[in-house]
Amino acid sequence: MTENNEHQGRIAVITGGSGGIGGAIARRLCDEDAIVHVLDTKESALAAVGYRQVDVSDEAAVDAAFGAIGKIADKIDYLVCCAGIYRPKPFLELSLEDWRQTLQINLTGYFLCCRAALRFMRPQKFGRIVMFSSMIARTGGIEVGHYAASKGGILGLARALAVESAAENIRVNTISPTITDTPLPRAVLSDEVMQSRKAHIPLARIGDVQDMTEACMFLLSGDSSYMLGQDLRVNGGSTLW
Amino acid sequence: MVAAANSRVTVITGGGSGMGRATAIQLARRGDLVCICDFKEDGVKATAALIESAASRRREPAQVKAWIVEVIGKFGKIDCLFSNAGVNARSTVANMTLDQWTLLIDTHVTGSFNFCQAALRDMVTRKSGAIVITSSDFAIVGVPNAANYCAAKTALYSLTKSLALEFAPHGIRVNAIGPGPIDTPLLRAGRTAEEFDNARKAFESRLPIKRLGQPEEVAAVVDFLLSDRATFITGQLIQPNGGQVMW
Repeated sequence: MTENNEHQGRIAVITGGSGGIGGAIARRLCDEDAIVHVLDTKESALAAVGYRQVDVSDEAAVDAAFGAIGKIADKIDYLVCCAGIYRPKPFLELSLEDWRQTLQINLTGYFLCCRAALRFMRPQKFGRIVMFSSMIARTGGIEVGHYAASKGGILGLARALAVESAAENIRVNTISPTITDTPLPRAVLSDEVMQSRKAHIPLARIGDVQDMTEACMFLLSGDSSYMLGQDLRVNGGSTLW
Repeated sequence: MVAAANSRVTVITGGGSGMGRATAIQLARRGDLVCICDFKEDGVKATAALIESAASRRREPAQVKAWIVEVIGKFGKIDCLFSNAGVNARSTVANMTLDQWTLLIDTHVTGSFNFCQAALRDMVTRKSGAIVITSSDFAIVGVPNAANYCAAKTALYSLTKSLALEFAPHGIRVNAIGPGPIDTPLLRAGRTAEEFDNARKAFESRLPIKRLGQPEEVAAVVDFLLSDRATFITGQLIQPNGGQVMW
């Protein structure tokens, strides 16, 4: 059973930490007395977090941000990667620039942040990394070729990193949500479309940020001490593999 | 009837040792009324004694489906089921007897079906409940000298998925766990001390995490899946496996 306050004093970095899922996780980790740093392009609404305006696809900016955060207590314990964009477009209309932008932010951004965090996790022989992928990595979808490729890439990256880092007490796992009720999908999908998705979810509701927060907290905690390279599919039963 | 309004009633099969025992202790500490069964009476008694010392309240040894009815009769409901009972009988396929095959299929698959069906009949009436079934990494990958075990564990994963879909409309969640090599009596069964030591070393060198898992590390995952922390997770195989299988 998890010790009380196991997150107390942990240095946590959350990319996309101003968004729906990332913001909820940031708030929860603050509540559990972790020291939370948010990297995002838009400002965090939380007063308790250390906010840095960072484009995760910018190598120099990522390295500088992690370097500065890591220096404060000479460690980084948790990394939660949530930063991503979702811009559906028909395949034949996808420009190379569209493709590159999604891959650059959703996949390369994860790589850059993991690499920067591992520079601190590796010597301290402790680290927990949770990356958000998507069920679309498995199921595909209409007008999401670039997004599906980026989210599938995350699964491969996570497994490779899990194997490579396991012996150093660094655990890497992923979460694959279905559509979650956050501003990201709401920006491109109508209320009607959002509601219609319920019909495909056996538990008959849309996932919310609370569901994703609980899954993330589980993977950050000692409760999942024997799990690495695993993908937690928090999807209401909509896809069973 | 013992009032259990404020406590979850949790049934654990295979509670006499290993992961079942560790889960019984953890959930009893959480305040669940834990009811355990096991085909080995000494094991179930030993776990029951441990639960007592871990400050829980109730246990009941039995080995048949009717026991569930007895549990419901006593406590009024079943909130959670951890269908975990398992055995092993290692053999090459060439030398495998029908008894060795049937023992594993009956114990794992038919046994789990019986317990799930009995518990679900109660859960459906209350539109609430959670089940975890012990499958295995070997539901996904094979291993030599264990065709009966692999077939049984794959069947349990299939059962999990079907139950998840069939009972989601009733607000009931069903998930499977796929543990890797966990240091339990079952992992040692059928192996001499020397054989187990060799097996352990082989596991440790092959596993990314470089060690066997402990039953408590599985118990923590079962606890999570049965809890309100996992209300949007159903039909999944969750693998506390030290990185043995990633897919």
